[in-house]
Amino acid sequence: MSGQLIINGIVNASLIAPPAIAFSLLFGILRFPNFAIGAYVTVGAFIAYALNVGAGMPLWVAGLGAMAGTAVVVWLSDVLVFKPMRGHTPVTLLVVSIALALIIEHVIRLFYGADVRGFDLPLERPIKFAGMRITGEQIDIIIMTIVIGIAIHLLLQYTRIGKAMRATADNEVLAEVRGINTSYVIAFTWLVCGALFGLTGVFAGLDLVIEPLVGWYLTIPIFAAAILGGIGSPYGAMLGSLLVGLAEELTVLVLPSSYKIGVGFVIIAVLLLIRPHGLLGQPEIKK
Amino acid sequence: MAEDLLQAENICVGYGRGDIVHGVDVSVSAGRIATIIGPNGAGKSTMIKAIAGVLMRREGSIRIDGQEIGGKPASEIARCGVAYVPQEANVFRQLTVTENLQMGSWIEPEEFDGRYEKVCALFPILKERGKVRAGNLSGGQRQMVAFGMALMVEPKVLLLDEPSAGLSPAMVEQMFDIIKQVNKTGIAVLMVEQNAMQALKISDHGYVMAAGQVAMSAPASELLDSSEVSELYLGTRQ
Repeated sequence: MSGQLIINGIVNASLIAPPAIAFSLLFGILRFPNFAIGAYVTVGAFIAYALNVGAGMPLWVAGLGAMAGTAVVVWLSDVLVFKPMRGHTPVTLLVVSIALALIIEHVIRLFYGADVRGFDLPLERPIKFAGMRITGEQIDIIIMTIVIGIAIHLLLQYTRIGKAMRATADNEVLAEVRGINTSYVIAFTWLVCGALFGLTGVFAGLDLVIEPLVGWYLTIPIFAAAILGGIGSPYGAMLGSLLVGLAEELTVLVLPSSYKIGVGFVIIAVLLLIRPHGLLGQPEIKK
Repeated sequence: MAEDLLQAENICVGYGRGDIVHGVDVSVSAGRIATIIGPNGAGKSTMIKAIAGVLMRREGSIRIDGQEIGGKPASEIARCGVAYVPQEANVFRQLTVTENLQMGSWIEPEEFDGRYEKVCALFPILKERGKVRAGNLSGGQRQMVAFGMALMVEPKVLLLDEPSAGLSPAMVEQMFDIIKQVNKTGIAVLMVEQNAMQALKISDHGYVMAAGQVAMSAPASELLDSSEVSELYLGTRQ
């Protein structure tokens, strides 16, 4: 029984890890919590749906299209909304991002209504072993998230643009002074994060359902994972996702499953009280 | 008269509304050191930030080797051979020491190996602590990382904002020695220093700034000998 919960937890973690990494990368550069991340995920889910069900493309093509399309939408949200607002306080930007999330959600509603949808996929039997079940799609999600985690690690540690991303997140003025074109680096970061949100939309469509609020339901666990790991630390986000993913599922052992959605909130609240810089984050040194 | 390597004329600059620096001229030729001294709030750091492009000058001309750089973004000014070391937040805290030095040769990554050996010969500690995050170093070691990173640029012009700030007296001496050594290789150095006496001793030229203007511009030795300067800014009486 609890073996099944651990499997569910790992699938859940795989779903929130890519957007938590993206949220962390964005926070590193922008220094405000972007609440529109849920809406970005929803955009990804609907682009994939439109390409898969609407245009009849195979899901992997639709998924790539969703990543590219969401990357552009997310990048545009910076160009049109956040860039002109840069320099405002984090609280102002946070409120702006909530407004943006509502706008995106309602634009989607305008075209697709509030119906619950799913991808056009052949039905498959879940794989069973030792009394536990897992679907082929869930295995795909787990494998792809592991690949994404490794790819982001390689990008940040070993590539020139990745080092520029870390340097810009660390100290934008100094990065500029050393010859890095930081506005290019910031645009690149938005695009990479947008692709991750788009992919999450595809995952959400596979494991949950496609509806205008699908990303919104994921927002709190994503925040919890990023804060737990140490906000601004992509590696922390990976660890945080695993812990939040498991915690959400394992609380079912002691609490009715309708309380699952509250787990993220509790993690955020407790963490902000006892270790605000998270597990892997660096505490801010104030002199 | 041949133009100096760094020539800034009639610079007016400030933060947001209102200027802090009102029409200042500063110049340094290759292989020379110029120091700007003056009381707090005189606009010394602001002036140096304007040259580095961190602050956009409102008016005036800044030329490196005769090429106008005023109005360009900082990343392009860096490509013209200018290395600026801010007073604070002058290292990438989350990056390791070696990665910080890599950022120094960002513009010419193929030059990293050769420059790395040279910089580590000046500051052996940078090699020893290569894998440590810069944020975990002591203040003095961080200052060496900041300075080493600027040297990795192999700049024509080195702009230093308070290079001795936060260093122990022994290390201040060492830092000024190294500035002198680096300068001998032909780099033009422009620095702002609270430690006015020691800075002027290694300088060729000195500027005294007050209230956003140059109050005095003279060879460093003259400033050191001037009773007015020593009473007002050097804290000594003769």
